[in-house]
This record gives sequence, structure tokens and C-alpha cells, in this order.
Amino acid sequence: MLDVQSLAFGFPGRTIGRDVSFSLGAGEVLCVLGPNGGGKTTLFRTILGLLTRHGGSITLEGSALASLSRAEIARRVGYVPQGHSAYFAYTVREFVLMGRTAHLGVFASPAKKDFAVADQALESLGIAHLADKPVTEISGGERQLALVARALAQEPKLLVLDEPTANLDFGNQVRVLQRIGALAGSGIAILFSSHDPDHAFLCARRALLLAEGRVLEIGAPREVIRADTLERMYGVSVKVIDLGGGAHTCLPTVGR
Amino acid sequence: MTRISYLAAGGMLLCLVAVAFAVGRYPVSLSELLSVLTGQPVAGSVETVVLQVRGPRILAALLVGAALAAAGTAYQGMFRNPLVSPDILGVSTGAALGAVLGIFLSQGILFIQVFAFIGGLAAVGLVYWIGSRLRGHDPLLALVLTGVVIGTLLGSVIALLKYLADPYNQLPAITYWLLGSLASISPKEILYSIPLLLAGLAPMLLLRWRMNLLALPDDEARALGVDVRRLRTLVVVCATLMTASAVAISGIIGWVGLLIPHAARLLVGPDFGRLLPLAMLLGAAFLLAVDTLCRTIATIEVPPGVLTALIGTPFFLWLFALARRRW
Amino acid sequence: MRRVSRLFFLLAFVWGSCPGQSAVTDATGREIRPPANVERVYAAGPPAGMLVFAIAPGKLTGWTRSMRPNEAAFFPEPYGQLPELGRLTGRGNTANVEVVLKAKTDLIVDVGSTGETHASLANQVQQQTRIPYALFDGRIESTPAALRALGRLMGDPAAAEKLAAWYENELKDLKQRVARASSHPLVYYGRSPSGLQSGGKGSINLEVLDFLGARNAAAAARPGLATVSLEQVILWDPEVILTTDPNFWKSVWTEPRWRSVKAVAAKRVYLSPHLPFGWFDFPPGANRLLGAWWAGKLLYPKEFDFDLRVKVTEFHRRFYHREPTKAQLDALLGEPGVLPQ
Repeated sequence: MLDVQSLAFGFPGRTIGRDVSFSLGAGEVLCVLGPNGGGKTTLFRTILGLLTRHGGSITLEGSALASLSRAEIARRVGYVPQGHSAYFAYTVREFVLMGRTAHLGVFASPAKKDFAVADQALESLGIAHLADKPVTEISGGERQLALVARALAQEPKLLVLDEPTANLDFGNQVRVLQRIGALAGSGIAILFSSHDPDHAFLCARRALLLAEGRVLEIGAPREVIRADTLERMYGVSVKVIDLGGGAHTCLPTVGR
Repeated sequence: MTRISYLAAGGMLLCLVAVAFAVGRYPVSLSELLSVLTGQPVAGSVETVVLQVRGPRILAALLVGAALAAAGTAYQGMFRNPLVSPDILGVSTGAALGAVLGIFLSQGILFIQVFAFIGGLAAVGLVYWIGSRLRGHDPLLALVLTGVVIGTLLGSVIALLKYLADPYNQLPAITYWLLGSLASISPKEILYSIPLLLAGLAPMLLLRWRMNLLALPDDEARALGVDVRRLRTLVVVCATLMTASAVAISGIIGWVGLLIPHAARLLVGPDFGRLLPLAMLLGAAFLLAVDTLCRTIATIEVPPGVLTALIGTPFFLWLFALARRRW
Repeated sequence: MRRVSRLFFLLAFVWGSCPGQSAVTDATGREIRPPANVERVYAAGPPAGMLVFAIAPGKLTGWTRSMRPNEAAFFPEPYGQLPELGRLTGRGNTANVEVVLKAKTDLIVDVGSTGETHASLANQVQQQTRIPYALFDGRIESTPAALRALGRLMGDPAAAEKLAAWYENELKDLKQRVARASSHPLVYYGRSPSGLQSGGKGSINLEVLDFLGARNAAAAARPGLATVSLEQVILWDPEVILTTDPNFWKSVWTEPRWRSVKAVAAKRVYLSPHLPFGWFDFPPGANRLLGAWWAGKLLYPKEFDFDLRVKVTEFHRRFYHREPTKAQLDALLGEPGVLPQ
């Protein structure tokens, strides 16, 4: 689905990351962990083609990313950015409908089919009851789900979520993570970043540890998320606890 | 709400057109009016008044009102700012400079209008060219700032020309042009401005749903499959064509492009699919109403810009107080 | 004692009657005391320039706007090239006061509006530069009085008297002709390229028309310039249209909308000559006598049965100190629209 080889990325004139390689297949979930400023968002934006890569290659379903048009990319990859405040009072349905753009002709407006896909996306995330409310009047968590619904309306094969649980309360965090798991179950490849290593344990098949723009380690969460790697990334001492039955969790040591 | 708004706006528009044909300084009875409109011969100058004077003027008011409202709506969405008017990139100031130059050079009406049209296009072209070369800034902010700066520069050139103009002859002509007026609209002007206005309106109407995506941050819009830069350029080209043609024939008429989009948004929300056509209807109706007043309340013409501000502002405040929707 | 007082009175009389030293009250009621010898006069606007030049051309320091070749051709050689000094009147100043001072001005003259604004401007400049600033009424009927007062100020009362007497005579003659006229036509004066700018009742722009007793079609509007709609003009249905804009004059024949106006149908739309100064509306100075003759001929052809060329030649001789050549007259009066074909 997605194949990244020796990718170097950054901003015009400044490379902040190198030698990033990984691949992602249908139904797989890859969680990118790393400290703030470590390059997670920049990496994602480069993978989405929003930033020009500085080196290496990105291949999407066998085609080089650079050879695809924006619309072609949008039909395959859905982007869920970090939640933001809304400028305009679009209804949630209108907001999600924007995801259908790549499937519409330049001069077209959404048709019945598009409305159906949008409503389906809302339904699958449990926010169908919000369809007619303005996005400016829903909570942050609901807005985050609306963003996911919009990305789903693109009918993508790959979903890229940038810190989807930032600014959410505990309940909403769990709900979002559950959805991610369910979406993977339906065959979509998922790439998401998180500031919380526990999230990788909860729903990722693999974790990629990104520090200072370099891949520290990549592999199954229980193998790569260890006390020493966490200390190298975050600079704090953490214990990784095996809860049995395949579940793990991180427990920071907070001095008394 | 949408359907009601459209029906009400459309109905109001038709009524206004009927009233506009019927009233004026020259007395025309309803029977005479009907005779003229059905092609029967009528004595006196009634036919000239109805078909050559009122007709083109009504059509011009509708087109200019729709164009200004559409341009204002597009820009307010594109720049995500409720205080934006069609002149944000300097098209009106550029057109004014072209017209003032034409008057300064003692040209006839056709040349003045052509100069105005070219001036409007050139000003925006210059702003766009400079704005897109300012790297390292948010592209929209760069455009707006460049527009403000160039607009001010052009305004000062206008001031200079006013200063140098002959005070007895050219200066009054310049002053009146800048105040705006639909008094001298003839069938000829309609003929050559309609294609230009439509060249701007039609693509924008066709693209109106896609323009919703300009309300999102650039990254998101691009990730959704939109070539943001190309869409923005297209919107600017269309809005500029429309506004330059409108200003070339009518002079500067303010407030329509600023207030009407708000009124329309308060009625049907921000979705361009519904917003743009309604804004056009409301803009056309509003300017027609204002212009009809301008030419009937006194012997002399009242500048439309004065009335649009006087009527539009309290009307808008009333609408704003009533509505529950947020912008 | 009686001898001293007689001597005193004699001296006062002699001193008072010396040319160039009499104090003159200008149109704003201010007393103007010129220097003993007035050799250099700055005219603050074209109407003033015209009068100063007529009385004593050598004393004019410059024109407010430099003359174009076709305008300069109507003046004797050196005067067409007088320097451009800018305007110093209420309507938009372009003159630099220092320039006025540098030109070693003895007297500043302005002819036109005499309202409070202009009077205070005159006072201000006079205090600033210590040069006497005289303001005179620019209305047509006030021209003889202005000429006389200006002549006394400049020290050329005889020349001014000749001009004033002649002008007065011509005005009287005009009035008599108008009085004999049986019908006073309805006239519309259209300015600007669209022809839809006109002057309301009492506007200075229509002074010539008012003087000729013609009825201003736009009289219902308040004084001053205003835009009117074509519908309104059609309603007024004027018999004659006068204009100062050649673009409008050209277009009125090709625009079908204007055809229903009586004046257009009767081909009575006329364009005012404009060299070297406009004849009809602006500049609002003594030159409008030419406009009065011209318009009079158009409106009352029977009563105004003089030879226009003779009158024009006389005016140019007296006011511009140069008779126009036959070719110049042909060009002036032969321009399309000036006279009926």
C-alpha cells in the first residue's frame, strides 16, 4: 500500500529527518511515536505530498507519489489533521461532504451518492445525530470525529491521522482509538502519530520510534517500546509493565 | 430556509424590476408601459424612455449588483474574513485610476470605460504578481497586504491627477465618476459589458461548491484533492473580471460587495452552493432598488454609493440582530 | 493756518490722484494699498490673468497654466511663452507662494468668487507675503467695475477705462437685443462626455444663459453642478443643447437615445469654442462675452444679426492684443458644432 524508502524530509532549505524507511499494507496499523518537535507532523505532510521530499522515495499503491495528482492522492489517502477551531458555520454534514471533492468533477456539486457516503461515514463513527449542527457548535472531540468522517468520505485505502487524540478527554480518546481499530479491521491501512506510547500498545500492529528525525526503532510495540528506548526519546525514566494477555502499559516513575 | 430565501429573493426581484420599469422622472402610464413591452407603437418618447433609458439601466443595476455581491462573497470566503470587499486586491482603485486618466486626457465615454476596465485588471495583476513572489509568508496574507499597499499607491496617483486636473472641467467630471452612477448607461454599454460580466460570473457559479474548500486551511484542502493555488487564481480572475467590468460602467459603488454576502450568509449559511446564487439575487435586487431611488427622488441624480450605505447599514444591523446563526 | 491747511489739502489731493498710489476697495470690502509703481502683477487664476493682460500685458508675470501652442498662437509672440506660475485661488492651489515671491510680485489679483473663504485666503496670503491681494467679482456684469478698479490699482486707469467702457457698451447692446426677442428658448447645457452633467438654477456655469434670458432646462435643480438622467432631459425636451465637451457633441448624433430630444431632432446641438480660453462656461471670466455673442446668435438669430467674426476680432484685439488671422477665425468658427451648418 505505502512504501517509504530512505526518505529525507524537512522544510525548504532545512532537512530535519533522514533515512526513514517503512512499509504499510492494507489493514495494518502503524503508530509513529516521538517527542514534540521530533518531526512527526513534517513526516506525515511529506508522505501526503504536502511537502516536497528531500530525498528517498515514497510509493503509493505501486505508483511514485510525485507522479500522482492531488486528486489521485486524495482518492487513496485520507488525512485527519490535528483538530482546529472552525471559521465557518458549516453543518457537520456539509463539512464531511467536502471529503467527496476528489471524487467529483471540477464543476460538480455533491449528488445523492455522495450524500450517502457522507452519511455512512457519520454513522460509522457514531456522530450521525450531529449531521445538521454547525461545526462551530460541537465539542472538540466531536469535531475530531467529524474530521475522521471527512477523511472516510474520501473512501481512502490509507488513513493518515496526526495526533488524533490530542486535546480529547479520556473517554473520547478511547473512542477514537476503538474506531481506529475497527477501521483497520475493515481493510484500511492506518498511519497515526501519538504522544502517548500506550496508544501504540492499544491498537497498533507496529510502532515507529522517531527521534530527531531519525528512526530509532521500528517493530511490534512490545518489542520496541522499552524503558531504554523511551528514555532515549523522551528523556524520562519509564517502566513498561506486562499486564498479561498481550497487554502492556507504560508507567512513568514520578519521584516522591 | 433555503427554499424560502430563494423564493422570497426571486419574487422581490421580479417586483422590483416591474416597479423600476414603471417609475421615473418621465411620466409613463401602466398602459403605455405594457404597450411598449408588447411591441405596440406608442406616441412620444415613451418608447425611448422605456427601452433605451430605463431598460439598459435596470439591466445594468441587476448585473452590477449581482457581480459585486458575487465577488464580495467569493473573497470573504477565500480570505476567511468578514471585512473583505471586492476591492481588497485593488480592482476598484485600479479601475478608478484608469477612468481618471481617461478623463484627464479628455477622452470620450468608451475610452474612459476601456481604460477603467484595463486599469482594474492591471492593478490586480500587479498585486497578484507581487504577492505571489513574497515567499515565506502566508499566501493569503501576502495578497491582502500587497493589495492594500498597491491600492494606496494607486489612490495617491488618483489624488495627484485630481490635483493636476483642470478645476473647471476635468475635476468635476472626475469627482462625479468616482461617486458612481448608472445614469449614462446605454444599450451599447450593456452589449459589451455583458460578455465580460458573464465571463466572470459563469465559471464562479460552476465552481461554487468547490470554493467551499477554500475555507479550510491550505493543507487540508490540498489533502482533499484541490489544487488550492489554481482554484484561488481562478476565483481571483473571475472576481476581477466581474468587478472591473462592473466598475467600468458604473463607477465606484460601495457596500454592495461587503454587506450583501453577510445578509445572504445569515439567511442560508456559508455553503457556497446555496450562498452564491442567493447573494447574486440579493445584490441585484438591492442595487436595483437603490438605483431606482437614486433616479426618482430628486430632479438631480443621487450618487448610488451614498444610498447603498444609508440604506444598507441599518438594514444589515437589523438582519444581524434577528438572525441566530453565527457567521 | 489757512495756508497750511490749503497746502495740506493740495498735497493730499495730488498724492491721492497720483497713479499707482490710490487705495482701492476690492469686492470683499478690503482696502488695497498698492506700491507706488506696480510693474509686476501675479494673476491668481485665468479670469484675473485675462483682465491684467488686457489692461497692461507687460505687467503680467505669468499664466496659471502654461499655454499650449494652439492657445499661444492667439497672443502676441512673447506673451504666449510667459512662465507657468500655478493657481492661487480657492479652487485647488497649485502655486508655490515662494514662486510668487521670487517673481517679484507687486500685486496679486484674483477675479471670481468673493465669498468668505476666498476673502480669508486673500488675507492670509497678503499677511504671509506682504503683497497686496485684491479680489474682484467675476460675474459678467461686474467686469467693467473690476476693470476700472484694477486699472487704478495697476496704475493704468486710462487703458482700463477704455476697456471697461467698451465692455459696458457691449453688455448694454446685448441686453437690448435680448429685450427685443419675442421667444426665449429652453436650453439644456450638457457637460462631461456623457452630457448628463448640468447646472442648476443660478449656477455660475450658466451665467451666460441667464444673462441672455434663456430658460435653463435644469433650473429645477439647486445651484451648482449635478448629474441628471437622460430620462429627465427627455422630459424637459429642450429646444437647444449647448455643450463644452467635443466627445459628447460627437456622440449625441450617433446615440439613438438622444434622438427623441427636440434639440437633437432639430439639429440644434452646439459645441462651444475653447481657444485660447473657453467661450461659454469656463474659465468664468471676461471671455464669456464671446460666449454671450455666440450663444445669442444661436438662440436669437434674428436679433443677433451682427457679424460674429467682426465682434470676435474686436474682442481679441482689445483683450488679447492680437487680431486673429483669417485662418485662425476659420478654424475657431469652422470647427464642427460651433455654428449651424
